[in-house]
Amino acid sequence: MLDGEVLTARQQDEINRAIDIAQRESGLTFTVYVGPAPDDLTAYARQLLAALPDPEQSVVVLVDPTRRLLEIVTGGFAARNLNDRACALAAAAMTSTFAAGDLSGGIASGVVLLGEQARHPRSLHLDQP
Amino acid sequence: MVGDRVDYLSGVTIRTVLRAAAVTGATTGAVLLGSPAFAAHRDDGDDPGKGLSALETLLIFGVIPVALFLFIALLVSAPSIARGPRYRADRGWQGPPLLFGAPRDLQLPSGSSQSGGQAIEPAPGDSPSEPASEGGGASARW
Repeated sequence: MLDGEVLTARQQDEINRAIDIAQRESGLTFTVYVGPAPDDLTAYARQLLAALPDPEQSVVVLVDPTRRLLEIVTGGFAARNLNDRACALAAAAMTSTFAAGDLSGGIASGVVLLGEQARHPRSLHLDQP
Repeated sequence: MVGDRVDYLSGVTIRTVLRAAAVTGATTGAVLLGSPAFAAHRDDGDDPGKGLSALETLLIFGVIPVALFLFIALLVSAPSIARGPRYRADRGWQGPPLLFGAPRDLQLPSGSSQSGGQAIEPAPGDSPSEPASEGGGASARW
């Protein structure tokens, strides 16, 4: 089975577009993982974050649709602009959409919301870790 | 008072009788109109032809409808069979994980479930930047 079959091409485009929007808005890198994940979701999301090229400026959104769990982790620098309250707000928005059965729509709107929450005025020299 | 009640009762009775008569009359009329269809004798000029054999009857009234049913059912389900499994909210995720926004050559970390707490805290030399200690996040379930 090909990778792209569980979500339709349109649903995948929706998520990719949301990631683009969020990255342009916030300057952070967003990565979304959808699928079965190990038991300790937080630890796995942290490992995934550490495996990214620039973990400091990255945000990982991990969704396990089978166990109905969602995890958002932020890198050290990303957490300055995207605090835990903003993450919890996005998580609440996402899970309420998931509960209505819309997985890709929930991910997309949540990622866009995270990007908006992480938005901040550009400041010279401070936007580099 | 008593007379009123008698009138009321007789009115209901009359209406019931009328209704029953109308239904019976209409049914009888329809059956009478259709009676030529039950006629045992032939009219002039009709040509019923040969009767169907048991095999032909079975073919026309059994095999052909079933074949049509199966064909239409196949037409309906063929696209989803060709596409493979889809995510359905009540059936969970059936397939490999999907990654969005990650570099193509990203190696997914192996699951921490088999190594317990050891994998949660990486070795000190493993990741010099230690992003896990500073970052934040949120968890949720639905």
